[in-house]
This record gives sequence, C-alpha cells and structure tokens, in this order.
Amino acid sequence: MKWRDRTIFVTGATGFIGGRVCERLVLESAGRVRALVHSPHKAARIARLPIELLPGSLLDRESLRLALGDAKVVIHCGLGNARGIVRGTENLLAVAAEAGVERFIHMSTAAVFGLTPPAGSESEDAPVHSTGDDYCDNKRRAEKAAESMGRKGMSTVILRPSIVYGPYSAWSTRLVQSLRQNTVALIDGGRGACNTTYVDNLIDAIFLCLDNDASSGNTFFITDGEAVTWGDFIRAHATMLGVSVPLPEISSEQVRAYYKQQPGLLTGSVKATAQVLRSRQFREMLMQVPLTQKILSGAWGWLESLSEERRQLVRSRIGVRRPAAAERATVPIPDAVDFATQTGTVFFSIDKARKVLGYEPRILSSQGLALVEQWMRHAKYI
Amino acid sequence: MSGDIRLAILGCGEITKIGHLPAAAIHPGIGTLWLIDADATRAQRLAEHFRLDCQISADYKTVLPQVDALINALPNSLHAPVNLEAIHAGVHLLCEKPLATTAADARACCEAAEKKAVLLAVGMNRRFVASHTLLPIILQEGYLGEVLGYDWPYGGVFDWTSASGFYFSRTLAGGGALLDFGVHLLDSLIEWFGPVVNFDYQDDDWGSGIEANAILDLRHCGKFGEIEGQARVSRTYPLRNRLLIRGSKAQAEIPAEDPDTLIIRREAGGCEVSETLRLPNFADTSTFYKQLDNFIQSIRGNQKLESDGWQALRVIELIEACYAHRRRIPEPWSDIARPEGAVR
Repeated sequence: MKWRDRTIFVTGATGFIGGRVCERLVLESAGRVRALVHSPHKAARIARLPIELLPGSLLDRESLRLALGDAKVVIHCGLGNARGIVRGTENLLAVAAEAGVERFIHMSTAAVFGLTPPAGSESEDAPVHSTGDDYCDNKRRAEKAAESMGRKGMSTVILRPSIVYGPYSAWSTRLVQSLRQNTVALIDGGRGACNTTYVDNLIDAIFLCLDNDASSGNTFFITDGEAVTWGDFIRAHATMLGVSVPLPEISSEQVRAYYKQQPGLLTGSVKATAQVLRSRQFREMLMQVPLTQKILSGAWGWLESLSEERRQLVRSRIGVRRPAAAERATVPIPDAVDFATQTGTVFFSIDKARKVLGYEPRILSSQGLALVEQWMRHAKYI
Repeated sequence: MSGDIRLAILGCGEITKIGHLPAAAIHPGIGTLWLIDADATRAQRLAEHFRLDCQISADYKTVLPQVDALINALPNSLHAPVNLEAIHAGVHLLCEKPLATTAADARACCEAAEKKAVLLAVGMNRRFVASHTLLPIILQEGYLGEVLGYDWPYGGVFDWTSASGFYFSRTLAGGGALLDFGVHLLDSLIEWFGPVVNFDYQDDDWGSGIEANAILDLRHCGKFGEIEGQARVSRTYPLRNRLLIRGSKAQAEIPAEDPDTLIIRREAGGCEVSETLRLPNFADTSTFYKQLDNFIQSIRGNQKLESDGWQALRVIELIEACYAHRRRIPEPWSDIARPEGAVR
C-alpha cells in the first residue's frame, strides 16, 4: 500500500505512543497527518509538528467524521476511559468504514491476556479469556470489534505491544521518581518477564503493517525480542540515577501475605474514611466552618495537652493509632498492578511479525534505554 | 462597585477567570464593570460564578464609548487590532501579554497610545512579585559581589485549559512557549540586567511554529556590566522553575514556590549559610490585583505604569529576532527515521 500518499489519521495523538507516531510520520515525510485532539491542553508535544490538529472525541461520532476527513489510513492509539476503549473503537471503526478507510491499525496490548499472562500465551493464536481486569478485558473487546470489522471487509491489523517505553514514557519517568523516593523493590529478585518494546520498534512495525498487504486481518505481538527482565529494566533506571547500592528485594509470597492481611471492602472503607476524616486537608476544610472550628480546636487542644501515653490510648480507642516503628514496612510493598505486571513469566514471541511483516527490532533494549537516559537528562528528570 | 473607573474586561477565558476578574471584583476604584465575550453566555456564567452585578456584552465596539479603561484578554492574534480600536476610542488599555504577535504591531500600538495620550499597560503580572523589586536592590547593594551569570529554567507539563484552545494555533497564538511565558522571563531579565546585546536561540519547533521548548543563551549589557545567562522554557518538561544568579561572593535564588522571597546563599566559616529576604509590609494581594491597582493609580496620575507598551516592545523585538535566528534543539532520541532499505 502506498500509504505515504494518503491522508493518515492518528488517534491518541496527545499520548506517548500516538505522539511518537505523529513525529515518525513527519520524519517519514508522510503526506498529510490529521491528529485527533480530545484534550487541547495536552497537545504541546504534537503542536510542534507540521500536522493538522483536529478537535474531537472517540465517543462522538460526528466529531470523528469531521476529524477523519479524507483520511484513508487510521492508526488508532486512542484510549480514553474504560468506556472509551470499546465504544470509542467501535465508533471509529464505524466512521472509518463509512469513509472507505483502506487500512486500520488497531493498537491493542499484550495485556489482553491479563497483567500476569498465563503460561501458553506466548503466541498470537493462544485463546484469550476474561481476566477480571477492566482495562485488559476492554482492550480485548476492542480487538473483537476490530476483528469483526475486518471480517466485514475492512483491512484491519491488530498490534499487541507489551511494556512500551521510550522518551515521554511514564514507565521511565514514574520509575525514576519512585527510585528517588525509595519505593521500589525487586519482586523475586526482579526475574519477571518485562517484554520491553521500544516505542520506535513498535512504530517500525506500524509502518511495516502499512507497507505490507499481508498484514491485513492479522494480530501481531510486538516487543524488542529480548528476554529483558523487570530487574534489568529497573536496575538500568537506577543506574541512570547513579544509584549504586543494591535495590531492596521482596518475594511474591511476602507480597501476597501482605495483601492477605489487608482489610476487606467494608473494613477497608471504614478505615479509609477514618483516614480521610483525620487528614490535614479535611481538617483544614472543616475548620472553615465556624462551629466545627470551635469544637475541634477545643478537642485537639485537649488531646495535645495529654501525655504521649494517654494520647496513644485515646487514638487507639478512636481507631487512629499510629503504627509503631517496628510495624512499619521496611521494604516497599508494590501496589497490586505493579505486582501483577512484574511477576509474569511469559516472553511473547515476535516470530509471526518477523515472518509476515519482516519485522526486526532495530533498537536493542540497551540502545533504547540509552536514548531514554539521554532524553531524561535533557528533560531534567534526572 | 463604589469607585469612579468604568472598566471593561474583554475575553472571558481562563486568565480572566483566575486573574483579572477576581482582582477587578474587589478593587475599590472600579465603578462600573463590563464583561465582554463573543459568547455572551460565557460572560454571564462568569459574572454569576463571582456573584457580580456587572454589565454583559458580546460586542466590545458598542461598549468602548461607555468605558474609561479596557483589559484586553483575547487570544494573542487579536491583541493588536483590538488595542488599536480601543486606543482610537480614547480608552486606557491593559493588554494581556504579549502586547502583539509582531514587533511592528506592538510598535503601532505604542505609537497610537502616545499620540492619543492614553495609557498602554501590558500584563506582566510577575513584575508585582516582591523578588522583582528585591533583586535589583541586593545587586545594587553588592550582596552578590560581581554578578557572574544566571540560570532560569521555567516550565512544566502544559495544563492551561484555555477556553478557545488558541495556544496551539500559529495563526492565533503567534508562537509557542517563548512568546507565551518566555515574555515574562525576558521582561524581567532585561529590566534587571539591561538590553540583550547577543543571543543564541534554540527551540524544538518541527515546522508548525509552536515550540514546546526554547533555550536562550543571552548576553546583557547594563548597569551591572556584561552579564551572561541562560533562560529555558518548557511546556513538556517539569523544570526546576527557579532563577539562580551567581555572584563572586554569593548566589541569589528566587524560588518558584514563593516568588515573594529571595534567598541568598554564601559561604561562611567553611559552610554554606543562607538568608531569606522579604519586603516589609508587602501586601498579601494577588499579582493581578497589584497590576490592576497600578493601572488604575496610573490613570488617576498617582503612579507610573510598572510595565508599559514600550517595555513590552523590546521583548517582542527580541523574540522576533530569536525566531528569525532559531536553531533546532538537538533531539537525538527523536531523529530516528527508518534506515534506507528497511521497507520491503
């Protein structure tokens, strides 16, 4: 397909992947690029480019029709909220079908198999089951919508990258922030499969899907094709920050035990409410009410006048006892999403992309991480 | 509204909502207040939000004969043409920055205002933070010794929810980060260190005319001699947002979180000591209020404008020169096209 002559429509253009897609299209001298902009204030990165920025929403078909214009190629990286993932994809597919779009690249994710993909999900033909995670399940539903439109005759391609990183990626900016705050621990020594996908490798794959008509109707995993672990990825970022000491480690058993101890929905909600009620922000807001100001000032004054021992007693009675130092965790506990993401063992195969598209990851993970470091130094993240 | 000044605010976008209107709503000098927007319902909603009893209009032309002063808070490209209309109507002007998108237009505004003998103030509200006054005092007093240079990174991930979205249109905005908040930095630097006699300018515009990042290396020649420094603005990166001035005896810092202070750091007894300077009795009002007050007092002849059109013009001339001599910021992580022969 001679896609460079066509008008190309990009959704998710104000995001990390879509923004880079727009840059690469400019570098590839693509004819006309139209980018859907849902939140104008997020468009600073792509506003630098000689492309058209079109206001609209994936949830509003009429705005999509106007934004799509005469585009014959769609690169759909848009996400939006949970509802937007499925409904937005359905809307875009419908509008693209009306407009006679010749190729529709649907950016899915390897997470359709869940945040911790089960053994056996290494290749694209592995069955996908409901995971119970909204994001993962909605991304699968969106894939089904694309597959369905493909069966009706539109040339659709589904790409499933995994951990897409590169300049502007929150994987890196959040990670260095967490490393600075000492809130990162390697789970099981960091041996979980990371499946890194350098953003330019992914975009090479997009362009190959446009070049190559054999891509049509197919689904492809796209990664860097290296067995990079989470330990490798996290340590590389620690090195960027100049952290030389070994990172704290925690076993998955310890994490599971920690979560098991956590209160259930009702108890957790009561405790969280108590936490809100005693937060400084809430107290400040409450203190704006003259009557509560009077009552609470008296109560806090009385509490402060007690000995530390009696204060602890009162606090424990009203359920706001502060944990003793020994009770506080010394190793950071990963949140549930990080835990699930970093404990997978599956490395996705890119054999199909190699065979059908001629895809070969051009940027090795070591090179990709070096580019990220260069960018983060420029952007003053490190 | 008990004062004698009849003021109109034109353009009811974000800057009016968070800056100009809250100031005007409480200023005792305002007698009659107009809110004007092409979308009159937006103006009405804003008035209701602030529970203001003010006049609403969708047509500034009909309002101009009824007011003494106008705040022009329209998108950048409309600053100069509307300024000229207001000036010709004999209305004093406080124009949001930038005064115009070209130096020629800015000069035309200045000349017209002078000819018509109306005030032309420009919205450089950052001149009204205490450190803007403190810095020249400590430089003059020799706190820092010889001034060696400065470093001023300023920026963050852009989150300005503009009502019109004009920021990312070259036609409407006239430029990117440099013309947006870069004008504040350049205005202050020129005011403190004198005119720029040499510069090197880089930005990351790929051809749209709307840069997200700009880096300026500047050399000034002013009352403290020749001073070199770097200013950097960004709409995509969370920079440190503090001005650091290096001197032979000490360093001065204006922290972003409290620009009403100035921190002096120097070595004493082998260790670094610091002191935080403030202006005594510095009013706890917003910079927009202080700016409006200066405008109103100037209309009454009680004060001199803190930032007038001619001062704004020299900044726009510098920005125009920067755009004319721009170099691309090297972005080796970006300039990765597919190698020849990669296409099958």
